[in-house]
Amino acid sequence: MDYKYIEQLLERYWACETSLDEEAILRAFFRQKDVPAHLLPYKSLFAYADAARADGLGRDFDERILAQVERPTVKARRIPARRRMMPLFKAAAVVTVIVSLGAVGQHMFDRPRPDYDYDAYRDTYTDPQSAYGSVSEALQIVSESFRKSQTHENDSLSAVPAQKTTCKE
Amino acid sequence: MQEINFRNDILPLKDKLFRLALRITMNRAEAEDVVQDTMLRVWSQRDEWPALDSVEAYCLAVCRNLAIDRSRLQANRNEELDESTAERPDAADPHTLCVRNEQLELLDRLIGTLPEKQRTVLQLRDVEGKTYKEIAAVLQVSEEQVKVNLFRARRKIKEQYTEINDYGL
Repeated sequence: MDYKYIEQLLERYWACETSLDEEAILRAFFRQKDVPAHLLPYKSLFAYADAARADGLGRDFDERILAQVERPTVKARRIPARRRMMPLFKAAAVVTVIVSLGAVGQHMFDRPRPDYDYDAYRDTYTDPQSAYGSVSEALQIVSESFRKSQTHENDSLSAVPAQKTTCKE
Repeated sequence: MQEINFRNDILPLKDKLFRLALRITMNRAEAEDVVQDTMLRVWSQRDEWPALDSVEAYCLAVCRNLAIDRSRLQANRNEELDESTAERPDAADPHTLCVRNEQLELLDRLIGTLPEKQRTVLQLRDVEGKTYKEIAAVLQVSEEQVKVNLFRARRKIKEQYTEINDYGL
């Protein structure tokens, strides 16, 4: 077998003139079992690259790195989602507060007020004399009640109801 | 422009990023931390993804910078010379040495002695099969610079490797 080509390639290899393809040819050549004796010393040099290429990291490394890399992404997706909802919750809370305040206010201000429409009043008495009598009777009952409660409260003020009576008469 | 998805576009880069970080920090635990930091940083800047030419180049660049920062911190934590340091064997325990390919182990150590830039270029070219243009984008240097670094790295590895193999350690 002619090893001229290989020797030539080797020379160019040491001079760094070989292409990647030519280096692959050399590597393939030295990978075979029967390498001529004068080229044998270089066998290990090329086998070394093959052996070095077999080295690497295991699966546990993948898991470790993915645990560090992909967890933040999941987080990054989750937190914005929750944060995106936050303003909505806030807005809903504000709206609730305003609506309930409004309802309470409306309830307070819109309570039906007593009607003071004097024009709607009608006379119930035709005779002024009898009207006067009824009014004084009603007032007498009121003053009687006042007097009663006050005498219960304080005896020293018992003159006041008497005065009231005179005033009325 | 096609939309970039973390699970489908960024996470599958973990092995490449890990290998690059491992090449720079030379510590598996540190490299894993770097990849994690890289992914989290890229994730935190996801708003800028559509503006990127290549997400992969961007991730690799971030990863490289973080790894360099970390290995600087590591370098500052100088190891104290005490009894345990003196008693520790140079290589890993005999069992792992037997299990692993001694030659690959040796190459690993040789590459580890290269300057960071050469290590990164070698890793991206020979292990990850990147073009000079892509590597230049990751390192933010010219393609010429990439070639120069790669040339030096390959030459040094070849020289040291053949020297050790010819004369033994």
